[in-house]
Amino acid sequence: MGTILYHGEPSGPSLTVLAALSESGVDVECRSLDLLDGDRHRIAGLTDTTALDMGVEGEGPVLVIDGEAMTESVFIAQYFDEIGSGSLQPKDAYKHWQMLMWCRRVTERAAPAAAFLKCEAFAHPVLRALDEAQFSKIADAIVSDDLRARWQAVRAGDFPDGQKADSRTKIIGLADMIEAALADGRAWLMGDFSIADLVTYPWLCIDLVPEALDGRPHTAAWLARMEARPSVIAALARTKSATPQTCWAPGPEINRWG
Amino acid sequence: MADVTLYHWEPNANSGKPMLALMEKGVAFNSHYIDMLNFDQHKPEYLAINPQGTIPAMTHGDRVLVESTAIMEYVNDEFDGPDLMPANAQDRLRIRWWMKFMDQWLAPSFSMFGWKFFVGPNALKAHGQAKIEEQIARIPLPERQTAWRKAVFGLFSEEEMAESGRRIGVGIRMLEEELGKREWLASDQYSLADVNGFNLAYAMPLSQPHLANDEVTPNIMRWLRAIYRRPATRDCWKLGRTPMASRVEILEQDYIPPRDESEGISSGVR
Repeated sequence: MGTILYHGEPSGPSLTVLAALSESGVDVECRSLDLLDGDRHRIAGLTDTTALDMGVEGEGPVLVIDGEAMTESVFIAQYFDEIGSGSLQPKDAYKHWQMLMWCRRVTERAAPAAAFLKCEAFAHPVLRALDEAQFSKIADAIVSDDLRARWQAVRAGDFPDGQKADSRTKIIGLADMIEAALADGRAWLMGDFSIADLVTYPWLCIDLVPEALDGRPHTAAWLARMEARPSVIAALARTKSATPQTCWAPGPEINRWG
Repeated sequence: MADVTLYHWEPNANSGKPMLALMEKGVAFNSHYIDMLNFDQHKPEYLAINPQGTIPAMTHGDRVLVESTAIMEYVNDEFDGPDLMPANAQDRLRIRWWMKFMDQWLAPSFSMFGWKFFVGPNALKAHGQAKIEEQIARIPLPERQTAWRKAVFGLFSEEEMAESGRRIGVGIRMLEEELGKREWLASDQYSLADVNGFNLAYAMPLSQPHLANDEVTPNIMRWLRAIYRRPATRDCWKLGRTPMASRVEILEQDYIPPRDESEGISSGVR
């Protein structure tokens, strides 16, 4: 037994966790998965798969500890920080609450929007090209009915215009949040560098919503600082595709309550 | 005057989480009851505290905190009293996973039933159609306006209700399985996951009697009764003002047999 981090290409939640691992100084075996080939649902040797099967995040990284699958990138990042350097979370309870609130706003609102747009652009063409038998092999291994339905929607090209527009609005909303947080001249979202920066960076998909940087100089400068961060560089260097920003698999669902 | 004020509705769902966490920690607080069905949460005096108009909210000195699970983590970190998170990092990760799963996947499905059968009709009965339109128009968050319209005017689709029903069934089976692994939810000690889960699950034997009872879900029943016996839980549910809170008394029964789905309080009252 022991600890193994299974991750996709360094994009989305896998990028958050790989960079957090690097920041934490923790030494863990990492194994790369092809998320869009359904690898995540074929991990061998697991004794408890609840969190893998039913995680809200969708196709995110999986930390296996003594056979137990653990998921959700924010919480895995917290785990690495808590057994490692302890430098990625504010010690003050109120600032910690602010960080948790920030991460929740990102993962609940921006992340489903970004995953929706990214899947339309990059995952749909790949899944559409599969024949029925190839796709069934992936879909049949997915335990969660609603996650499987999101895969089917991506393959079918079910991307309603209303949700596309709403998703773009939410990415702009994320940029507004970042710009406002940095308005006092701070370098990082919570003041000190934290999990909030690592959780936010992968979801601000300026390749698809470039106008998110228009008139937001603090956000553009923060993005440049993130790209220069050694942990982010190290995470991105793990890519097998050379274009990790185009590697996406179905993510969290868009809130059913609207 | 305590330094902490909690703005809450009934001891139930999101309001009940920080109420019970504060009581378990032994933190003295001013209890400020917000009558949700009277739209107290959208009145100017409350919007001055929480401009989003969501409940619960907590003030600690000049700090204002919102979002029930995040408030609970703050309460546990900030105040003395029993630690409601275990020392082991893997346990904490598992607890956070369960709280997110309940908050974002399972609870919204329970809520859809509660809002369709209880919140919407009761609010409409109390205010009348014209007045309720005015109330809804004053809600700050657009998505909450949508939720209220759907609840009040019965606009949840059959597909939405069926999906919520499916998730409730899956979620109850998952809880039962998880509580078969350990004494408490997600760890070996009473934690924020139990506080969170109890607020979601305490009335299931009434509202889902075919899915949650001593024959089908013995682990859930053992767990619910253990939490109900805690003094903090008793004190917390005394702060309820409606029949909703008294539903918790079903946990005084030593044995709850399976009953037909139709015998459940399909009103949900969540």
